[in-house]
Amino acid sequence: MSQFDRRAIQNFDWVFLALILLLLLLGLINLMSAAAAGVEGGFSGVVRRHIMVMGGALLVMGLSAAVDYRHAERFAPIIFLGALFLLALTLVVGVMTRGAQAWLFKGGSFQPSEFAKVALVIMLAQYFHRNPPSTIRRLRELAEPLMIAALPIGLILLQRDLGVAMLTLLVALTYLPLFHIPLRAWGGVALLAVAGLAALWSFGLKSYQKQRILDFLEPARDPLSSGYQAMQSKIAVGSGGFLGAGWQEGTQTQLRFLPTQHTDFVFSVLAEEWGFVGSTLVLFLFFAMLLWGLWIAHSSKDGFGAMLAIGLVGTLFWPAAINIAMVLGLAPVIGVPLPLFSYGGSALMSAAIALGLLLNVSMRRYVF
Amino acid sequence: MIGLRRTDERLPGAEEAPSELRVGLIAVVMVMAFVIFVMRLFQLQILEGADLASRSHRNSVRTLRLEAPRGDIVDREGRPLATTRPAYRIRVIPNELGNAEREYRVLAEFLERDSSEFSEAVGTPRGRRRFQPVALATDLSYFQHAQVESHRYGLPGIVTDTTPRRHYPGKASAAHLLGSIGEIDSKKLALDITPKYRAGDVVGKSGLESGHESHLRGKVGGRNIVVDVAGREIEVIDEVQPIPGGRIVLTLDLDLQRSAEDAFRSVPGRRGALVALDPRNGEVLALVSEPAYDPNEFAGGIGSEAWEGLISDESRPLRNRAVSGQYPPGSTYKAVVATAGLSEGVLDPEEEVFCPGEFKLGRHTYRCWKRGGHGNVDLDEAMLGSCDVYFYKLGIELGVDTIAKYAKKFGLGRETGIELQGEMPGLVPSREWKERARGERWLKGETVSASIGQGFNLATPLQLAQAFSILSNGGTLHQPRLIKRSEAWDGSAREIPDEKPFEVTDLDPQVLARIRQSLVATVQAPRGTGRAARVEGVVVGGKTGTSQVVSLEHVRGLAPDQIPLRYRDHALFVAFAPEENPEIVVAVVIEHALGGGGASAAPIAQKVLTTYFEKHPVGEGASTTAGLDLESGEVRHDPAMPEEEES
Repeated sequence: MSQFDRRAIQNFDWVFLALILLLLLLGLINLMSAAAAGVEGGFSGVVRRHIMVMGGALLVMGLSAAVDYRHAERFAPIIFLGALFLLALTLVVGVMTRGAQAWLFKGGSFQPSEFAKVALVIMLAQYFHRNPPSTIRRLRELAEPLMIAALPIGLILLQRDLGVAMLTLLVALTYLPLFHIPLRAWGGVALLAVAGLAALWSFGLKSYQKQRILDFLEPARDPLSSGYQAMQSKIAVGSGGFLGAGWQEGTQTQLRFLPTQHTDFVFSVLAEEWGFVGSTLVLFLFFAMLLWGLWIAHSSKDGFGAMLAIGLVGTLFWPAAINIAMVLGLAPVIGVPLPLFSYGGSALMSAAIALGLLLNVSMRRYVF
Repeated sequence: MIGLRRTDERLPGAEEAPSELRVGLIAVVMVMAFVIFVMRLFQLQILEGADLASRSHRNSVRTLRLEAPRGDIVDREGRPLATTRPAYRIRVIPNELGNAEREYRVLAEFLERDSSEFSEAVGTPRGRRRFQPVALATDLSYFQHAQVESHRYGLPGIVTDTTPRRHYPGKASAAHLLGSIGEIDSKKLALDITPKYRAGDVVGKSGLESGHESHLRGKVGGRNIVVDVAGREIEVIDEVQPIPGGRIVLTLDLDLQRSAEDAFRSVPGRRGALVALDPRNGEVLALVSEPAYDPNEFAGGIGSEAWEGLISDESRPLRNRAVSGQYPPGSTYKAVVATAGLSEGVLDPEEEVFCPGEFKLGRHTYRCWKRGGHGNVDLDEAMLGSCDVYFYKLGIELGVDTIAKYAKKFGLGRETGIELQGEMPGLVPSREWKERARGERWLKGETVSASIGQGFNLATPLQLAQAFSILSNGGTLHQPRLIKRSEAWDGSAREIPDEKPFEVTDLDPQVLARIRQSLVATVQAPRGTGRAARVEGVVVGGKTGTSQVVSLEHVRGLAPDQIPLRYRDHALFVAFAPEENPEIVVAVVIEHALGGGGASAAPIAQKVLTTYFEKHPVGEGASTTAGLDLESGEVRHDPAMPEEEES
């Protein structure tokens, strides 16, 4: 064991860790500006709590990196069932916040669905390790992994958290390009998807959710109420210009025209205050981190490690993509936080687990 | 993708690890997302950056209008007639309300209003409107304001402030002259080329408030402030101070105005008008029209009920009788006819004319108001006794056109040009007028009526005052003026209005002096019909008048107080004083008076004159004359008139 450890340390992925720490630091600096505008809990309360969570996250990341990830393959069903249990528990004793019953404990302090994404990825990685995607050539062979994914997604839907359910589905779909199913077979799936979306619009969406989609399609529809957030976010981003207004100088942020500026719209703050240069740089670093994650998957000699890394990159990519698309007015308003930047404990913790596991896979790629 | 698959198949161990190219496909998706985001950032921040930045600016920078307080209108001694005072106002910011229903209930109790009014006024605003204050009540009493203020911690979202409000301390005093203010109407707003006004602004609607709008209004200022999303002021960027509206100093003397208004209180029906002028320059010293209204009611936006009340009131309180009321001048016109007689050389003032109580012309008989007749009268006696027959004869001798010529020299028959709305021209009848207006020939009998100011003759109280001013000042016609000067709000820049046009008429000053002498006799002589206008220590001249509203048949046999109000005659009196270099002329008209001019109108003029001469004692001008001192010795102040009364 000690031999393994030494080799793992020798192969430690310092570049990846550096990227993570840099992004976390930038996230903290940006959050300090967003919180200075006045937030629920006060500036010092929010910043102190965020730093504490960051400390915890680094610890969790270290732990996730230290213990050999291959144990995760063995314990995958237990981890998965544990996550499902927490989701079910949330349904029974959960706290209703912002229209969704997604939080355990009062005050929205623990959100099991954030961890369920990681657990699902571990479960799917185990499945795809045993049934490599390149051997999957027919649609019906996807039935089993789909059923695995359907369990947490169904529970999240029962919590009435449509955004996170969709996000979890997207995370599962990260594996899609790996299958060797002929393109024409997808035609039927596409038809099914359209029918499903139509059914969702008619029966599944609450009126405020429909409003948000309509506002996205036509932002000037109702700029003073339901389209307000999207409009103000676009104004904030645009007014950043080339170099930005400067840290804690953005009027949209500091005068609180931006809604939920420290959680869902934290990237608007960045864009307003750091401008095109700053926000492009941060995006570049973030996507560099994701691509590095894919490189880890590619470099892994172990099928489970590779599948795990791909799924973990998915847990980071999809919320980031949806959040930034929303902030930039490219997608309707969906309450999804930006990993490493938004204020919020559960999201940061689950990101820390994912990043820790990626480090884990990375440093053990030469084990074989 | 399909092509690639084949390559995978050929590689051994491809099942173990995912294919390089398939992971690459995921990477491509991510890079595409990155590129799209950077392009979008470029679009928003670089291409649309300036536009969105200006919207951000508009978001957070508000321009507040700083209202300029409206300028004061003061009398000639600086006493305010119209001023601006702060009014307490209560507003609500819907977003900051705690328990709205409870707060409305508490407010309703303090303000003695119904809480449903408040919830209706506020409604359920959405979006940014939730942050915009809604006015709930204005012009609270000090006590109400204090109650709300002291409970403000229990009333989150309720804010109090003050707002300037027009105030007329004298209430209805001089209302017709001051006019009123109100919200600008859409028609005027549309005509306003300069963006000086906006909807909801208060502007002068009538009277001087309207005529001097631009001076009184001042200039609004502005303040650019940074506000947060709740509209709270964060910092002030820059500020342009408003310039308060300018002051207007009137020629009016509030003491005279008040004493005239007080005098009218005792008049039954209380309808009529009074104008006091300084004959030396045309300054209006008092201008009363009764009944009046309280312009304070308009200052806060008059309710439709109160407005309907004013409009439909049969006594027409909104009408400015001093300039819009046209009345037959009655016997006051005799001064004009006598001037014509003397000037044309057809009248010898010392020659006596016999008055038998009636005058026959063809088949018609024209009565003198005094049934038994005046006997032999010269000009002075005819004037002081207001003998009709004397003037019938003089009128016939002169002819209507000559009378009209002199009436016009006295400014009758045309607007004086005073800067008040609704001035009427009156009417001076002549042959030519009747041909033109009625298409009929002038009848000789109509000259008889015209020579005592009846028939077609019409004059406004202001015109009567002006005519007697010309008589008093030796023949100069001054346009009546209301404004002594305009000042900047701090008195820094004074502007004395251009000398109002005046014309020196070709009336002979000596003739006018002779007429004044007979008018002095009318007041000062023991049997003078105008003796109710006597003022202690001052020699007053004047002429009474009574103008018929209906022909005598309607009222024959009725005692004066039995005659229905609307059939009663109008009572007139025009006075000047002192005898030498008169300083004040007062014209009084009382509609449907109980008595004639001497009984009803003269005492009112007397009160105004008394007030004037208490402030400006005669002596500086040394205007008492030896000739009449003898008589004034036996004069007692006696407003109650005996039976003897002209008609």
